Amino acid sequence: MEPIIALENVSFSYKINETSSVSVLKDVSFSIFPGEYVAIIGHNGSGKSTLSKHLNGLLTPGSGDVWVHGHNTKDDTRKLDIRKAVGMVFQHPDNQIVATIVEEDVAFGLENIGVSREEMKQRIDEALEVVKMSEFRKRPPHHLSGGQKQRVAIAGVLAMQPDCIVFDESTSMLDTFGRNEVLQVMRKMNGMGMTIITVTHRMSEAAEADRIIVVEDGKIVMDGNPQEIFKHKEILMELQLDVPAVSQMAEMVHNQIPIFSNELIQEEELINEVKRVSNARSGEVV
Amino acid sequence: MASEFELSRNITIGQYVPTGSYIHRLDPRIKLLVFTILVLAIALNTSYLGNALGLLLSIYLFWASKIPISYGLSGIKPAIPFIIILAVLQLIFQGNVFSGGTLFFEYGFILITSESIRLVIVSAVRFVEIILLSSVLTLSTSTTELTHAIQSLLSPLKKIKFPVHELSLIITIAIRFVPTFAIEMEKMMKAQASRGADFGSGEWWRIIQRTKDMLPIIIPLFNIALSRAEDLILAMESRCYTPGNDRSAYSVYKALGRDYLVLFIGLLLSFLLFFYPFPY
Repeated sequence: MEPIIALENVSFSYKINETSSVSVLKDVSFSIFPGEYVAIIGHNGSGKSTLSKHLNGLLTPGSGDVWVHGHNTKDDTRKLDIRKAVGMVFQHPDNQIVATIVEEDVAFGLENIGVSREEMKQRIDEALEVVKMSEFRKRPPHHLSGGQKQRVAIAGVLAMQPDCIVFDESTSMLDTFGRNEVLQVMRKMNGMGMTIITVTHRMSEAAEADRIIVVEDGKIVMDGNPQEIFKHKEILMELQLDVPAVSQMAEMVHNQIPIFSNELIQEEELINEVKRVSNARSGEVV
Repeated sequence: MASEFELSRNITIGQYVPTGSYIHRLDPRIKLLVFTILVLAIALNTSYLGNALGLLLSIYLFWASKIPISYGLSGIKPAIPFIIILAVLQLIFQGNVFSGGTLFFEYGFILITSESIRLVIVSAVRFVEIILLSSVLTLSTSTTELTHAIQSLLSPLKKIKFPVHELSLIITIAIRFVPTFAIEMEKMMKAQASRGADFGSGEWWRIIQRTKDMLPIIIPLFNIALSRAEDLILAMESRCYTPGNDRSAYSVYKALGRDYLVLFIGLLLSFLLFFYPFPY
């Protein structure tokens, strides 16, 4: 299968002044395939945000290449094609809404790529429906909650019908309720076939993904499915990352009751494991 | 006095009172055009009768748009000191400029004539009319409609390479961020007040002191504005914004018969105010 995004030996450094610079990404390579749900995790300053800005050409690598659908992000003539293919939702819900009315904001990106008015209407309807914001379409954005604003921002990206959406710490400014709203939308879109890349330092969010890429000091340390990644508790601890609360709990129970699995990630798995073990036990006793 | 920090509640810019009246439903381009011409006509009319007509018209427009006149009055309130200062200055200094009329009072260089009194009264009333008219316009038109109207009225300037779209985008973003910054400022004032900072307790006429008091708020606010702008640029670029590119438009307006009728009546009234020799 053709990857949507392919990074080949990407290195990047920020210039501080004429003589010195800080190296942020060091020889990073990976590919993202259609339909994947990928979480990029790492603690503050690990380079994950810089990495995410490479995915749609907001930043271009100092050395190495980023390919989106076979177009190099360094090729300025392809910039619009690349950004049409890879949408991005940012951290601060307030700083990405341009217009004074919700539906106008969703229209902003469509106006930029010259979509006809009839099609715009249809796409805006659909996008607002997916994020469940249809009833707010005539509202000014500053009356919305953080989670609602973030959903408007998602609708604005979704309406452009990208192949892939990158969420750059998009839930970090939200309360628990808003975070769950946004996570729900992400899951729903992935179910509809959208490729999702989420950049986060929250393990519970990373656990939702099918694949986790762990970044540390500008390099990829681990890349695999959540089960594999969360097995390496010591490495994660060393990187100042945590395992999800469910895994921690499973570990604690496992230490007391060895037959209880310690490789759990999702809440549902935990409940099922409790059922399994308690059934097995009640069988033993009786 | 918790209310002294409630800035976001006192913002009248972009305040929109949806009553669904026919004034609200007018084509925003025509509304903006008619109001601009009317304001100009009123600003240039110097007669008592003409301004009485203008005052009646602005009150009528409030009634017709079904917006409570108290909204208009609250717009006049902050302007009262200026109106008074202006009136006093005109009364003292303008007597020599407008010769003619009956002389009522003379002391040194101060001359008060029937002409200077007319000027004082007319300019005060004019001030009120203009505030009322612009209030009706902004209260009955959403900011989105207004920016679209500005964009479309300026669009002929595209021919001389005037960046019409960019200008209207700047206006939209500025309006969009007013409440955001008000909330930001509110938070900062509360944070600083809780550490003993003192805002706004000085007398209102100590403008320099009061401005100095605001510096610890204004500087961080400026900082925040810049970092927000940087974020916004990234978000806009991610959504394919390219300055100078041709864009399609989501909102399209079509002027109807009644819009043209309003345009006609508005032009007629303005014409009357401009050229009719009012006897008083």
